[in-house]
Amino acid sequence: MKITPHKVAGVFLLDRQLATKGEALYGERTFDGYRLWNPRRSKLAALLMKQAHVPLAPEQIVLYLGAASGTTVSHLADIVSLVYAVEFAPRVARDLVRLSERVENIIPLISDAAQPDYGPVVELVDLLYQDIAQPRQAEIAVKNAELFLKPRGHACIIIKARSIDVTAKPKTVYKREVKKLGELFDIESVHELEPFYKAHAAVIARLT
Amino acid sequence: MAHIKTWFGDIELHNDEIVGSQVLNADIDAMARRLQREDFADFDKECRGRLREIAIKLQVVSSEREYVSLLRAIMIQRAKERIVTAFAQPDARIIQLIDGIDDIDESINLLSERLSEWCLLTSETSMPEDLLEAFASSPSAQSPLAQEFAGSISRLCELRQETASAIELEMRTTAPNLSTLAGELLGARLIARAGGLGSLARMPASRIQVMGASKALFRHIKYGTKPPKHGVIFQHPLVRGSHPNIRGKIARILAAKIAIAARLDFYSKRAYPELLSQVEKRVGELQTAAQPRTT
Ligand SMILES: C[S@@+](CC[C@H](N)C(=O)[O-])C[C@H]1O[C@@H](n2cnc3c(N)ncnc32)[C@H](O)[C@@H]1O
Repeated sequence: MKITPHKVAGVFLLDRQLATKGEALYGERTFDGYRLWNPRRSKLAALLMKQAHVPLAPEQIVLYLGAASGTTVSHLADIVSLVYAVEFAPRVARDLVRLSERVENIIPLISDAAQPDYGPVVELVDLLYQDIAQPRQAEIAVKNAELFLKPRGHACIIIKARSIDVTAKPKTVYKREVKKLGELFDIESVHELEPFYKAHAAVIARLT
Repeated sequence: MAHIKTWFGDIELHNDEIVGSQVLNADIDAMARRLQREDFADFDKECRGRLREIAIKLQVVSSEREYVSLLRAIMIQRAKERIVTAFAQPDARIIQLIDGIDDIDESINLLSERLSEWCLLTSETSMPEDLLEAFASSPSAQSPLAQEFAGSISRLCELRQETASAIELEMRTTAPNLSTLAGELLGARLIARAGGLGSLARMPASRIQVMGASKALFRHIKYGTKPPKHGVIFQHPLVRGSHPNIRGKIARILAAKIAIAARLDFYSKRAYPELLSQVEKRVGELQTAAQPRTT
């Protein structure tokens, strides 16, 4: 098997499969100290497979909204220095807490990202990552960026078209969301996540 | 001068200098408890960017590494508490009760089937309700084992009744508008399907309208028939009681109002009794308009 570094430090390609370094955390396959990262189970993995320029770096602190059980968070923690992981659904949050107990650089926050009560806790972050599949998600991203994102810090926002408007064409939805984000951010790029995810896109943006 | 309240204490800053502070010992329990009790105001980005530095200066922690590990321990503790309380919320209880009803229905169903097969051998009637009645009027005429079965079934029916009453009570306080509009049990089912009152309140009406046909829904009433194919909403008397031609339309009107009711309940809990009469009025109009077609 050929191991090559991905252009994002901390990410690797084992032949053509994406991986990060570490022990298995949720039942994913491992190979020689590498954890395989399935782009059909993680939108961030899909984005990295698409060769998008994702602003990730080893020293970063990330605020992650919509962590769910922490599949993506667990890989992200292999790449960056610290992840503040926000999730409000108690059932999946249980798994997230179990994960944080095993991984030193994940801090779980069981809160509603729409009404952030983690103000006294979260420091200034380098990257805001959002995957909450919510009609009001742009508003929520803006609010969190205003409170927690470093000046000129980056944001990576996942848009699931069907969660925002089932009737409109995905492209129309992306455009509308990008416009809303544009009020606070400079938009750097928009990537559709096909063929890994249908009707999903990722927006890479930067605080103006 | 800036006064900031952080997870490790209250700090006063003047021209970037710390001029006052009241910090906590690195006691995880005490820190977690304070986060739970106190109100915290937002503070500006400049201070936010210095949290680690300030905590080290004030000797709350001795290094950045320790900053992260202490905060992580506190937040894990806090997360666990929150998860426990979330499961103790009224809507979590309602969901459990609804699951309980489904379990009871399934048991009643199984036991009744067994019993009626038995009784086919000895008596003429095969309807479960009649069976139970026959048992009640002349229990001695039946075999002891069959009597036990019948006894279990009626105890389960009682338990179902009790569970339903508990749901009604919880629903009246937790979701008064939804209860009035959809009925306590149907409302509870919608909450359970959505995964909580909050999620239901965030759902568009179109989703609510088609929200899953529960397999166990009123199975005990619909003995022997297949489970309903439509969404939960189709169990509402206004929908079921209408001509099939207009059921879809009525379901849509109802779903729209249910969405509003759920939001009202989630965000304010004030009762708006007019919601139901508005729907009834609209349905009445539709029914009159549909009349010529049906006759
Ligand atoms: C699509 S899933 C995220 C999957 C996850 N990012 C991964 O790749 O492993 C969306 C999650 O966001 C959560 N969510 C939605 N709205 C939220 C909010 N306002 N605050 C916190 N979490 C939210 C949901 O409970 C759900 O678990």
